[in-house]
Amino acid sequence: MSMDRPPTGHDVELAAFAAAGDRRAYGELVRRHGSAVRGLLRRMGADSATADDMAQDAFLAGFEQVSDYRGEGAFGGWIKRIAARCYLRKVKREARMILTDEAQDGDDPAALNEPRTATRIDLDEALKALSKGERLCVSLCYGGDWSHAEVAEALNIPIGTVKSHVKRGLDKLRARLAPPIESARREAHG
Amino acid sequence: MAEPHFEAQLTRLFSEPPAFPDAELFATQISASLDRGWALRRLLIGGAGIAAGVIAAAQLITTRFSAELQALSLDGTRGLNADISVALDKFNQVVATPASVEALWLAAGLALLALGFAVTRAMEEF
Repeated sequence: MSMDRPPTGHDVELAAFAAAGDRRAYGELVRRHGSAVRGLLRRMGADSATADDMAQDAFLAGFEQVSDYRGEGAFGGWIKRIAARCYLRKVKREARMILTDEAQDGDDPAALNEPRTATRIDLDEALKALSKGERLCVSLCYGGDWSHAEVAEALNIPIGTVKSHVKRGLDKLRARLAPPIESARREAHG
Repeated sequence: MAEPHFEAQLTRLFSEPPAFPDAELFATQISASLDRGWALRRLLIGGAGIAAGVIAAAQLITTRFSAELQALSLDGTRGLNADISVALDKFNQVVATPASVEALWLAAGLALLALGFAVTRAMEEF
């Protein structure tokens, strides 16, 4: 790749350049997917500083492993998976998460009582209403495209627990997101 | 609302990353980290290469110098022994050879000359 031109092209192409040692091509991939990775980690429950640290670790690890990426799936999904695993390792190491089947007291009451705007769909705000376990499971399944079985294996908890977390999380999100989605749809149609 | 529709909406919401005002800075920091890592790696590889080269060169020089010194020493010893042998042979030849009359007269003349010098010097001194 020419050094005087900014790297362009499809993610798969850039990843191939990066695998050959082109750091500028990888920098472009970071530019394209950095926000998605940081966003996913925040949605999984990481505070902003931790999310950014984990995202940085994930991208640096991704550069070392980029030759493993063959373009079978989207690069964004591949790097998000690495980032999620980085964060899960940290979570498990610090034993900060309590991933029991019970609903937890960790729900953010402020978030639950926050006034909602009529049409604005703010996923990040809605996620604050979920317990840590629910938030993690929902984010991995819907933000990271993980299956329930993959989440269960990664968190070392029964798959039934993952399904419970996801169901309860979806119920809470539906309660907070569905009316605005509905009203937005009505506004759009009408 | 049907559950699949909500889940599809949720997936779509998750696929929309939040906007980060420092997105460019984040990417720049990672690029800088990669560059630093690469520079450090090159430095380490270069350092290791230089160290290995110096060690290899030292080993080579030491081994060669030692071998050459040994060879030189051996040659010197052999040469010295040969020279001594030649000298001894010549000395033996000289000693073993019967002296001729001319040689005796020459020796006697030289002895007288030396004696004359010695007497003259003694007279000058005393």
